[in-house]
Amino acid sequence: MYYPDTIQKLIESFSKLPGIGPKSAERLALHVATKMKEEDALSFAKGLISVKRDLMHCSVCGNLTDKNPCSICRDSHRDRSVIAVVEEIKDLIAMEKMREYRGLYHVLNGVISPMNGIGPQDINIPSLLERLKNEEVKEIILATNTTIEGESTALYIAKLLENTDIKVTRIARGLPVGGGLEYADEVTLLKALEGRREIINNNK
Amino acid sequence: MEIKRLKLHSFRNYQELDISFNKKINIFIGNNAQGKTNLLESIYLLAISKSHKTYKDKELITFTEKFSRVGAELLKDDSVIRLEIIISPQGKKVFINDVEKRRISEYIGVFNVVMFAPEDLNIVKGDPNYRRKFIDVEIGQTSPIYIHELNQYNKILRERNEFLKLAQQTKKIDYHYLDVITEQLAKLGASITKKRATFIEKLNIYAKKLHNHISNFTEELDIKYQSNYQQQDISFDNILNLYKEYYQTDFHKATTQIGIQRDDIKFYINNVDASLYGSQGQQRTVALAVKLSLIDFIKEETSYYPIVLLDDVLSELDDQRQTQLLDCIKDKVQTFVTTTNISGIKEDLLKKADIFYIKDAKVYEREGDHYGEDK
Ligand SMILES: Nc1ncnc2c1ncn2[C@@H]1O[C@H](COP(=O)(O)OP(=O)(O)OP(=O)(O)O)[C@@H](O)[C@H]1O
Ligand SMILES: [Mg+2]
Ligand SMILES: [Zn+2]
Repeated sequence: MYYPDTIQKLIESFSKLPGIGPKSAERLALHVATKMKEEDALSFAKGLISVKRDLMHCSVCGNLTDKNPCSICRDSHRDRSVIAVVEEIKDLIAMEKMREYRGLYHVLNGVISPMNGIGPQDINIPSLLERLKNEEVKEIILATNTTIEGESTALYIAKLLENTDIKVTRIARGLPVGGGLEYADEVTLLKALEGRREIINNNK
Repeated sequence: MEIKRLKLHSFRNYQELDISFNKKINIFIGNNAQGKTNLLESIYLLAISKSHKTYKDKELITFTEKFSRVGAELLKDDSVIRLEIIISPQGKKVFINDVEKRRISEYIGVFNVVMFAPEDLNIVKGDPNYRRKFIDVEIGQTSPIYIHELNQYNKILRERNEFLKLAQQTKKIDYHYLDVITEQLAKLGASITKKRATFIEKLNIYAKKLHNHISNFTEELDIKYQSNYQQQDISFDNILNLYKEYYQTDFHKATTQIGIQRDDIKFYINNVDASLYGSQGQQRTVALAVKLSLIDFIKEETSYYPIVLLDDVLSELDDQRQTQLLDCIKDKVQTFVTTTNISGIKEDLLKKADIFYIKDAKVYEREGDHYGEDK
């Protein structure tokens, strides 16, 4: 061991973060040790402790929250008949930033992928089904990513809801708004074409 | 379509190369291990964004260097397009006219290549892997959608196989999930199969004609696609039902039994399987006809001729075959030829060509002169 134990431990901690290799971890740890102001380091440490101690997953929707259920689930102005199913909390945040969607959410916390050892029971699908039994839900919007696993997961949930009276929809994919067709790659263009919708039908 | 200039930096054994081309046919002469194949490889890389020899991009970087840069000026429809690929241990960046393309699919297709090298004999002689790779590369050159579908298919296939393995271990099967990924597999499989069938059909028409000429009208070539689905009707429903019939076998073997991962192509000469029974010469003729037929195929698909790369194969061909080749490239197709021995090349081909000498990763216009030094 070349570094004192305390630094060595910090390096190990940093290297557990996603996207941080041993070299970056070393750099970050040394930065904290030599350059960072004490008050900044303290507030960093407090922040770390408090997200783990004071935050929890909402028992209803899986969102991160400091009060259970979360503020979205408690909000009486929201439309309780619609649930948008998303992969991750950051997808929920993205939807919220839009400030247009007024329904509820369900965060799966992952996608089904046997390759990664994740089955339907390992993500928040059971809690979704449980929820649908009790709540007055009319529509489920499947808003998982357009990756092949996101697609499998959406189709799987749709299959489970096949014989219920809940309407199941999938968010559209296609061209980015404001971009010309010429800039879209072929795959996006194909998906946009497949997902086209009718404006007028004159040969009814 | 023509490459007017090629620039290499730390690519394979080339430290630095900047070379201009003025003729359609360019012949590189050099002893073994001087850098002939490496030069063609760089052109192939610029077209496909991958090497024809390795899938590990890092191998392309000169042993002692940190990154590699390959660039070209391409003349297309009277305008010059600059292409550049930078390879480093972190990955690969591709540029068209100095603008980085984030998706490889946005890069591929600026120009196409047809490479013919000794190892292409494996298309006829080798195991089915070679033939599948051949189909995938050639269809992929003109169809980004095909590449996408293939990637998706392979991903979902891996998930499915892992699922089957787990199902066997735990003796538990989630049929809902199996149905979902099987539907995804069937949809992609049907689409890929249709594209492969169309490709082989076209290839058959072009290659048959060429082969007929090369063999002096004594032999009839037939190329047949062997879809592993073995269905007349490649519709989604039909393929899906097929997968469902295989559910029990799939469980038993803990892996997906059917699909495009088991496709093959068959070559017949006068109705005899050329892979099994063809002579060395016959097999080589089939490989040549198949490769040359891609020139017309690509022209039809993209409305541009590809650039043809002939590595170490020209002097192996007899007069008749060289004539046929010359006929195919006419005066329209830019062609790069390598050989260790100029004497094997036909006189009228040499007359049309610019000749370069390669020695130790340096290119000379005359034996002895460094390229470009006297200009
Ligand atoms: N990444 C690399 N860095 C440096 N040199 C390399 C690299 N990869 C290959 N080489 C060298 O390039 C040389 C081979 O070049 P190339 O395959 O182009 O030869 P060639 O002229 O085609 O020979 P032949 O006539 O035998 O086919 C070899 O000596 C090899 O060691
Ligand atoms: Mg060679
Ligand atoms: Zn909640």
